[in-house]
Amino acid sequence: MKINLKIKRFNPETDKKPHWETYAVEVEPTDRVLDALHDVKWNQDGTLALRRSCAHGVCGSDAMRINGRNMLACKVLIQNIAKDGDTITVEPILGLPVVKDLIVDMEPFFAHYRAVMPYLVNNDPLPANGRERLQSPADRERYDDTTKCILCAACTTSCPSFWARGEYVGPAAIVQAHRFIFDSRDQAAQQRLEILSAQDGVWRCRTAFNCTEACPRGIQVTKAIGEVKEALRTGVIR
Amino acid sequence: MFTPLITTARESLRYRGSGHVLWLLHRVTGLGVVIFLGTHIFGMSMATFNPPLHEAMLAVYKTPLFSVGEIVLAACLIFHAVNGTRIAILELRPALWDKQAVATRWSVIITLILLAPTIAVMAFKSISYYVTHGLK
Ligand code: HEM
Ligand code: HEM
Ligand code: FES
Repeated sequence: MKINLKIKRFNPETDKKPHWETYAVEVEPTDRVLDALHDVKWNQDGTLALRRSCAHGVCGSDAMRINGRNMLACKVLIQNIAKDGDTITVEPILGLPVVKDLIVDMEPFFAHYRAVMPYLVNNDPLPANGRERLQSPADRERYDDTTKCILCAACTTSCPSFWARGEYVGPAAIVQAHRFIFDSRDQAAQQRLEILSAQDGVWRCRTAFNCTEACPRGIQVTKAIGEVKEALRTGVIR
Repeated sequence: MFTPLITTARESLRYRGSGHVLWLLHRVTGLGVVIFLGTHIFGMSMATFNPPLHEAMLAVYKTPLFSVGEIVLAACLIFHAVNGTRIAILELRPALWDKQAVATRWSVIITLILLAPTIAVMAFKSISYYVTHGLK
């Protein structure tokens, strides 16, 4: 089938403002949007800049806004978003500085990630056998959903609160904090909650729900944020 | 300083998502009602400080444009109150976020159920008023 790819282009060396360019592409219905972007870059216009690595929804490098909402280009099938002759729009994710075309500067995003202490904190001596700190299957299940994050930024850059204020830690960082706050082996929950109760913490969430819809891993992001809010409100981590 | 604001306003209209639509409506209706409340308090206080201005404002309200405006205001209030209740419930019970799709649908359904008789009564009263008093 034939589709048109309408891509938002921006070259910082020559352009003042981004502009749209449209490319006709011949695709299979079961191709992914990334395949169509490859066709443009490899066969039509080599100057198109985009980031991808695994091409299988694992590395999180090709989050972009496709037909108005954030997705991974490598995960979405053409047949699910377009019919023969349709136009698919592709633009960079929002709220992070555009480096070139579809590539954004992820550093502010990673800074928020680092800010919530995304690592296990446990100062107790190792168990007597010197092996891993055990936890029950139920304790492991408690935070299973938020272990799935691949840091693609689809959620954070779908959030109106983040567009309006880049200082907001954003859904992805809260998901990462949730993953450790609710881990029975961790001991720094209070520190993380303190970070998240600050001005640019969880309370900037206005429950728009875009993050949950955008997450390519199906993480219940808004629910995770709600659970962190609940822990702050009640002082109980359940 | 204003760039993020402009981006947010423009992209809020361009972004696609089901929850996003209700979020946008909630904010627009909330702001709309706040703006009305400001004018309203101003208008009412003029009854004390500047009665002719107060009378003039009341006269303006009795025109078809503002009758439609009143209905829009009622719609904004009803939607905002119903949807606000949904948000408050979900905020207090995060486990219910699993049911977001159902909750948004009910938000819209309950709004429409409350809105239909409201519009009927308000439109009927406005039209009867213009029938007996004529248009100015
Ligand atoms: C078109 C619809 C409305 C009409 C015709 C209307 C009319 C009035 C009138 C005549 C008063 C004066 C009452 C008095 O001083 O005895 C009043 C007061 C007031 N209205 Fe409205 N109103 C309307 C909508 C609203 C809405 C939507 C709000 C809230 C968002 C609101 C909030 C208030 C408040 C806070 C007062 C002061 C209450 C008081 O002083 O006791 N009104 N309104
Ligand atoms: C029964 C009545 C009402 C209920 C249940 C209600 C509920 C809510 C809730 C839960 C929010 C937070 C939204 C969020 O965090 O996503 C909110 C926001 C807001 N409300 Fe109301 N509200 C009511 C009446 C009003 C009235 C009368 C006004 C105006 C005078 C108003 C103006 C606003 C504004 C401006 C916002 C901010 C919108 C935003 O942050 O997106 N609300 N309301
Ligand atoms: S290229 Fe790795 S997630 Fe899409």
